[in-house]
Amino acid sequence: MESEPNNTASGSGNPKEEATLKAPSKDPKTKDDKKDEDLSEEDLALKQQLELYVERAQDADLGLQKFALESMRQEIRTSTSSMTSVPKPLKFLRPHYGTLKSYYETMADSDLKKLLADILSVLALTMSAEGDRESLKYRLLGSEGDIGSWGHEYVRNLAGEIAQEYSKRVNEEATVDDLIELVEQIVAFHMKHNAEPEAVDLLMEVEYLDLLVKHVDKTNYKRTCLYLTSSARYLPGPDDVSVLDIAYTIYSKFEEFPSALQIALYLDNMQHVKQVFTSCPDLLRKKQFCYILARQGISFELDEEMCADDEDKEALQEIINNTKLSEGYLTLARDIEVMEPKSPEDIYKAHLLDGRASAGASVDSARQNLAATFVNAFVNAGFGQDKLMTVTSETSGGGSLGNWLFKNKEHGKASATASLGMIDLWDVDTGLAQLDKYFHSNDNHVTAGALLGVGIVNCGIKNDCDPALALLADYLDKEDSSIRIGAITGLGLAYAGTQNEQIRDKLTPILGDPKAPLDVIAFTSIALGLVYVGSCNEEVAQAIIFALMDRSESDLGEPLTRLLPLGLGLLYLGKQHSVEATAEVSKTFNEKIRKYCDMTLLSCAYAGTGNVLKVQHFLGQCAQHLEKGETFQGPAVLGIAMVAMAEELGLDMAIRSLEHLLQYGEQNIRKAVPLALGLLCISNPKVHVMDTLSRLSHDADTEVAMAAVISLGLIGAGTNNARIAGMLRNLSSYYYKEASLLFCVRIAQGFVHMGKGLLTLAPYHSERFLLSPTALAGLVVLLHACLDMKAIILGKYHYVLYFVVLAMQPRMLLTVDENLKPLAVPVRVGQAVDVVGQAGRPKTITGFQTHSTPVLLAAGDRAELATEKYIPLSPILEGFVILKENPDFREEA
Amino acid sequence: MPTVSVKWQKELYPAVEIDTAQPPYVFKSQLYDLTGVPPERQKIMVKGGILKDDSDWSKLGLKEGQKLMMVGTADEIVKAPEKGPVFMEDLPEEEQVVAVGHSAGLFNLGNTCYMNSTIQCLHSVPELKSALIEYPQSGRSNDLDQSSHLLTVATRDLFNELDKNVKPVAPMQFWMVLRKKYPQFGQLHNGSFMQQDAEECWTQILYTLSQALRSPSTSANLDTVKELFGIDLVSRVHCAESGEESIETESVYSLKCHISHEVNHLHEGLKHGLKSELEKASPSLGRSAVYLKDSHINGLPKYLTIQFVRFFWKRESNQKAKILRKVDYPLELDIFDLCLDDLRKKLEAPRQMLRDEDGRKAGLKLKEKSSASVDNDVKMSDAEGSSNGSGESSKAALGGGAASDKNAQLTGVYDLVAVLTHKGRSADSGHYVAWVKQENGKWIQFDDDNPIPQREEDIPKLSGGGDWHMAYICMYKARTIPM
Repeated sequence: MESEPNNTASGSGNPKEEATLKAPSKDPKTKDDKKDEDLSEEDLALKQQLELYVERAQDADLGLQKFALESMRQEIRTSTSSMTSVPKPLKFLRPHYGTLKSYYETMADSDLKKLLADILSVLALTMSAEGDRESLKYRLLGSEGDIGSWGHEYVRNLAGEIAQEYSKRVNEEATVDDLIELVEQIVAFHMKHNAEPEAVDLLMEVEYLDLLVKHVDKTNYKRTCLYLTSSARYLPGPDDVSVLDIAYTIYSKFEEFPSALQIALYLDNMQHVKQVFTSCPDLLRKKQFCYILARQGISFELDEEMCADDEDKEALQEIINNTKLSEGYLTLARDIEVMEPKSPEDIYKAHLLDGRASAGASVDSARQNLAATFVNAFVNAGFGQDKLMTVTSETSGGGSLGNWLFKNKEHGKASATASLGMIDLWDVDTGLAQLDKYFHSNDNHVTAGALLGVGIVNCGIKNDCDPALALLADYLDKEDSSIRIGAITGLGLAYAGTQNEQIRDKLTPILGDPKAPLDVIAFTSIALGLVYVGSCNEEVAQAIIFALMDRSESDLGEPLTRLLPLGLGLLYLGKQHSVEATAEVSKTFNEKIRKYCDMTLLSCAYAGTGNVLKVQHFLGQCAQHLEKGETFQGPAVLGIAMVAMAEELGLDMAIRSLEHLLQYGEQNIRKAVPLALGLLCISNPKVHVMDTLSRLSHDADTEVAMAAVISLGLIGAGTNNARIAGMLRNLSSYYYKEASLLFCVRIAQGFVHMGKGLLTLAPYHSERFLLSPTALAGLVVLLHACLDMKAIILGKYHYVLYFVVLAMQPRMLLTVDENLKPLAVPVRVGQAVDVVGQAGRPKTITGFQTHSTPVLLAAGDRAELATEKYIPLSPILEGFVILKENPDFREEA
Repeated sequence: MPTVSVKWQKELYPAVEIDTAQPPYVFKSQLYDLTGVPPERQKIMVKGGILKDDSDWSKLGLKEGQKLMMVGTADEIVKAPEKGPVFMEDLPEEEQVVAVGHSAGLFNLGNTCYMNSTIQCLHSVPELKSALIEYPQSGRSNDLDQSSHLLTVATRDLFNELDKNVKPVAPMQFWMVLRKKYPQFGQLHNGSFMQQDAEECWTQILYTLSQALRSPSTSANLDTVKELFGIDLVSRVHCAESGEESIETESVYSLKCHISHEVNHLHEGLKHGLKSELEKASPSLGRSAVYLKDSHINGLPKYLTIQFVRFFWKRESNQKAKILRKVDYPLELDIFDLCLDDLRKKLEAPRQMLRDEDGRKAGLKLKEKSSASVDNDVKMSDAEGSSNGSGESSKAALGGGAASDKNAQLTGVYDLVAVLTHKGRSADSGHYVAWVKQENGKWIQFDDDNPIPQREEDIPKLSGGGDWHMAYICMYKARTIPM
């Protein structure tokens, strides 16, 4: 080893030093002498040797000079010791740096001069003053030899100086070609030596990432791309896009298509998505791509180019259309043995609260029955059976089939009928059959509910026959506004994210209809926003803007009016500055809603971007003390959460900022804070947030308390979290007299036990990398509705609660074999560990347990296969994952 | 004639021929044969919507082998039940009370929690309620003063209101009348009414009611209040010095539970309270001497009131100070051993029956034993029959029917029905709260206008020993057995 002689040298130096410590008192010497005395004989010899070289290097004899310089270089190169101390030769040469430098200037151009430049470049590493960049200067003057031969530290230092020099030169508009050449060398060196982050950092500094593609190879492309994708989150636009583009290129180059696809989805770049399909020849892998697309919830049509064979294409399209989702979900449910339907009482667990069970079983409370309807729908979502709505007539006698339905009052019946859609979620055939008989009811509320139910059952599922459109279209122009809202909302849910033009043509006229009541218009706007979520569609935007301008002064004061700007905002969800033109138009709106509109648009446009500046902007808005009656701070608070939810770091900061708002904010801010917390930690019950919300759920202000209760449900949604369940149970007895709050508690209980704990509402998936726009849109609509709980959810528009269906997804890992049949394999499930920028092959999960698939994944969990027998076709084990048999696998004897 | 496949629910009908010359209704009839769904209920998805009966096949662009989807069922259409359910929200307020399961709270009118909690406790006695209902509005007997009459009427009206309302009631009228009758409750301190001793309030109200309800108009019962709450005591007053002994009888409305260092349990405190020393002039000694008074119970009430003597006059601080000592009290109290021998004998038989019944409830052991002989079996069934009867009659008793009182025998066993607690360090400060067992067996904590349901196991925890609510007055209800 090269470093050994040096190590022994310094090792032997130490005892000597100790010995000399005592010496001065006895025998004082001059400083120089003492210094010499400090050194071991070996070091002394080295020092003298080097001094000699320095002297000789200035010799007139070129031969001697050359020999001296080469020897000097030799000494330096062999002494690559630890990073923490300066190598001995460098240390001894320090005093001569100036001499050599001045001698260098006098030299005539020659190889020797270059040689000296090299040495000076290395010496500058320790000597040059901060900002002089002499190391770089001499490097450029030097022989341009192998850069790595001087050791890592040298390269690293050089990289730093290049970055500085580069920005200086760009400012001066000078040429950077020589730098780039050097960069190329350094990058090559870094990439060879497992220092991908350094290489990427340097390339980002000099804005020349394209170079990376040349240097990645099979061994390091994964780490490189991981670093690229993770750092992209912290880059300002448009740098992040170019970084991700590079990652996409690299992944494609190494045929790591699933990862490439994920980046394409992150960029929302359909061109890239198509490219992935066309460049991958393997049908099975394409099927995996389809699963990934299906989870993202975007509509995507395959064409001939992507899949030549018609039959295969149909099979692939079926996966994208999510038709098998229900089947997979039920497989999971059967495996976990939770098929048995649950009644609301099983959730309330009133027996645990003695002395609290209502004695008035004889009289039904409409509000409590409505709550039970929702709880029943959420808890049994997707299971196809429950104990209230689908009980068959054989068990309970002919007439009682509609019994529970008619235990709901007026508009409550709409939600009750629609709950059938929730119970049969994703199972279109059964759901439509169940809902069919309610279409013919003479009760308008029941019909409206059936229409909404059709939308719910079709949510996220596409079908070639378009049953939802066919069934609902006829009801759009009915007289009764509840029927119209049912049909409109149903269409919005069923076709969310599809950008279906037929729907646009049917819905936009309603917006312009002067006779249409406000609630119809509000829900039309939301439905259009959902269908065209994140599309920046001008036509739809125009239609909503005109609808907003046509509202009368009194309409603008109505609580439901808030849905109009929200619908507009959804069109630009996550599209950042594309919103600017529309935001400009919104400045011309009536001043009553101008600010509100502005906040809503901005929060939607920057949702899921993690843009710190926007978070600050919203915080600034919240710091204002308002005149009475202004309400725009509600969406601003929600905006903080929507923007900051993008990544963990910003998320934690946002939680802290929200705490401050809670302390200093006024009522209209305080009531939005719990909702923002709910969105930040959705389906991810963090203990400290839970405690904050629990505290707020007893707040003296009812609206704050209601929002906190709902948010408790949201953060625990689909987790069956025992602690939240306990809190809510206690709240149910605490608020047993206050019907409104009790209703909220019940809804929250329904959320927590959603899908009996098999579902999640988190819009982020694929290891928190991708954001499903439709899911986020659904949540945002719900939260905006919660800003005025009394008028909307506690009023007659409680069915906005069903908008969560857009975000509902099984939180499972279901492995399937090559025929897409479920396949049980052992997997390790544990807390995900951040391995960005770590060398080698670090463990990606910690505290794991081994299970057999299908398994549930909690927030922050990651799974990995515990067997070598199969190879997963997706690097991220979430949702549906196809397993291929490993050809190299040998059963151990 | 193109052939299409039709999907209906989970089934797929692969080859259905369409005769494009015929109207779609014919096609629907074909499907009716296959699925049993009547044509008018069929919804067939084709391009651009639902297949209408008058559509033209040629315009639909049907392709060979196309998949159609049909939605529809033959299920009967749901109809609303003729009589819709009645919702609580629609009910008038009086009827909501039934649903809530407990009566309303009382607003605090400024340090009136002592009065509120007293009223809530007394309100839980149905017999008192029914007696008050019979009390005439105007017919005041001669020996009753006007203010007592008014107070009685106010009590009656207040009880009525409590039963009728869900929302808290403001006892304004009652409060005014009470102050008129007992001006000490109207004491002002810094311009507001002072906190008072709940026990005093309790005693005064009961006294007034006993005066009022004794009136001849309710002649059926000589003295309702006495019958309900009165405890007959026989005391032997004995002077150790002179050997004098006398027997005194008195009737009190509550037993005192004295709290000293030895007392850890209600029972001990009661025993303590029944023995007292007093100093009085001894005729034989010609001077005052110490007499020992040893009391026993001779007559049991239906409602046994027990006062924890937690407050004593502390001269140095010039206020009623409080003993915080923890004194346990049971949910079921047996005062058999505090009774006089005569009474004990009377209680023997009912107690035996009670024990038998309890045993029967507890398990089948008794039954197994008795089934050894046929005779016993017969007796057994008799006993069972009577016990069923007893259940009914005791329910009737609960309802406050005076008629069934005659057959009900006291057993000396009492169940806790109400606790009045105090929180704080002196009688004239702190906070009074009533904890009342409702007819449905649930406990409610009446904290002024806020009734909060409580669990039964938490009730005995109000026994003191800290700064939490602690029992000040307990009311027990007699467990009776019909004879």
